[in-house]
Amino acid sequence: MLANLTNVTKRYVRTEGIRDLTLQFPAGEVVGVLGLNGSGKSTMLKILAGLLMPSEGVAAVFDGPPRRNRARVVYLGETDALWTWMTPADAEKFMAGLYEDFDVARFRELLGSLEVPLRKTKAMSKGERGRLRLAMALARSARLYLLDEPLAGIDLLSREKILTSIVKEWHTDETILLSTHEVAEAEALFDRVIFLHKGRLALDARAEQLRSEGRSVVDAFREVLS
Amino acid sequence: MSSLTRFRTLMWLEARRSWVWGVALIGSLAFWAWGMHQVSFVDPGEQLGVRAAILLVASGIGGLVLCLMIGRIRSETRHGQYQVLLLTPPSGYLHTLARFTFVGMVAVAYYITIGGLAWWAIAQAGLQLDAGSAAQLMLVCPLYGVGLAMLPALAWTLLLMVFVSSYRVSGPGWVPGTVMVLATPFLGSWISEGIWKVSYRLPSWRLFEGLRAAINTAAWEAEVEGFQGVFSLPQEPLWIMLAISAVMLAVAGRIWQEVEG
Repeated sequence: MLANLTNVTKRYVRTEGIRDLTLQFPAGEVVGVLGLNGSGKSTMLKILAGLLMPSEGVAAVFDGPPRRNRARVVYLGETDALWTWMTPADAEKFMAGLYEDFDVARFRELLGSLEVPLRKTKAMSKGERGRLRLAMALARSARLYLLDEPLAGIDLLSREKILTSIVKEWHTDETILLSTHEVAEAEALFDRVIFLHKGRLALDARAEQLRSEGRSVVDAFREVLS
Repeated sequence: MSSLTRFRTLMWLEARRSWVWGVALIGSLAFWAWGMHQVSFVDPGEQLGVRAAILLVASGIGGLVLCLMIGRIRSETRHGQYQVLLLTPPSGYLHTLARFTFVGMVAVAYYITIGGLAWWAIAQAGLQLDAGSAAQLMLVCPLYGVGLAMLPALAWTLLLMVFVSSYRVSGPGWVPGTVMVLATPFLGSWISEGIWKVSYRLPSWRLFEGLRAAINTAAWEAEVEGFQGVFSLPQEPLWIMLAISAVMLAVAGRIWQEVEG
């Protein structure tokens, strides 16, 4: 098992992010983490990344505390968290100097295929910055990828490029947890879907099973969360 | 991948994100030098006094700017860059050390330049220091001052910001911040008393042994009557404050490993 959540609850100062969540993530699947705004998707991914500590319960990644194993996990946060002075060359220097599993050649290839311009991020559009961040994430050779809203606020063409890259770069021993509101566009990627509602697990199903029942992920999304 | 490679990368990152601050700070000394140049009194002692006061103000403002420079964690948190750093493989100790080292280096450059300006002001007042005393003024005094006051202030600021940010997500960050700020004066006075008690137990450092001769040559005798011409600098305060800085940095590095983002 690459990652586990056992009865995990996360409380913030005034609100609760997730409540009593128990999930297991084996190797080799693309998991759609779906839900409405404030359903706890980001909280769950941040806990698995080691960015948040559970208030109750246990989170484990590679059988250890997520923060301790952070070097083995790729986390792409929802915030546009790049320094404004950073160029793709700076990003390469930053990643190559800190991450052992960062592949420079793969990064350059991704920059080309994702059509990332070689200028500072402050002169890039949101879509270009999103593609640069995705290239930084996918150029690592980790086994667990946590992608939180990589498609948010990005134009249609960029979204297509991002989804194509995710499919192309995925290996069968890797697990990707992808949170998105673009359910219809990303549907074909998912092996498994997890629906969260108000911090609780509303549905955990195989995408194939939904399809065999004649339902799409979008249909299930509407049924479960409406 | 070695820790040295990661440390070098973090230092590069510090340089890229903070070079404007560093250059602006050291460049601001051109303004202070211009201000000193404008001071014109008939009495060289008075002129030296006013110029020294200007340098004192520059030292204080520089210290504040350096603390702001090392404590910019809040804006990084808002923009998500702090979260990126929290998840990078280097330990919290390496992150805090890189921040501290970079700003410490800027502090050293800044205060050595102030030492140079002090030497110029003294020379303008007609006191020609010998090479040893000049080197002590431009190197030993700034380094002693940085070690005694600036590095502990930087370590304290870094610890404060990391401590506050560690409570940001799951609790009210202002509580630990207020507790730490309120406790500092008491701790500071307790440490000062302790330092005062143990000072001069080790051999002290003698500075400006050539100053007496310079005073005699410049016929300043009447103005500094009774002055022996030698400053005796205790080494204990420096070592104690450096040790306290190291402890604060270690605590900040440990907290960094638990900070939520």
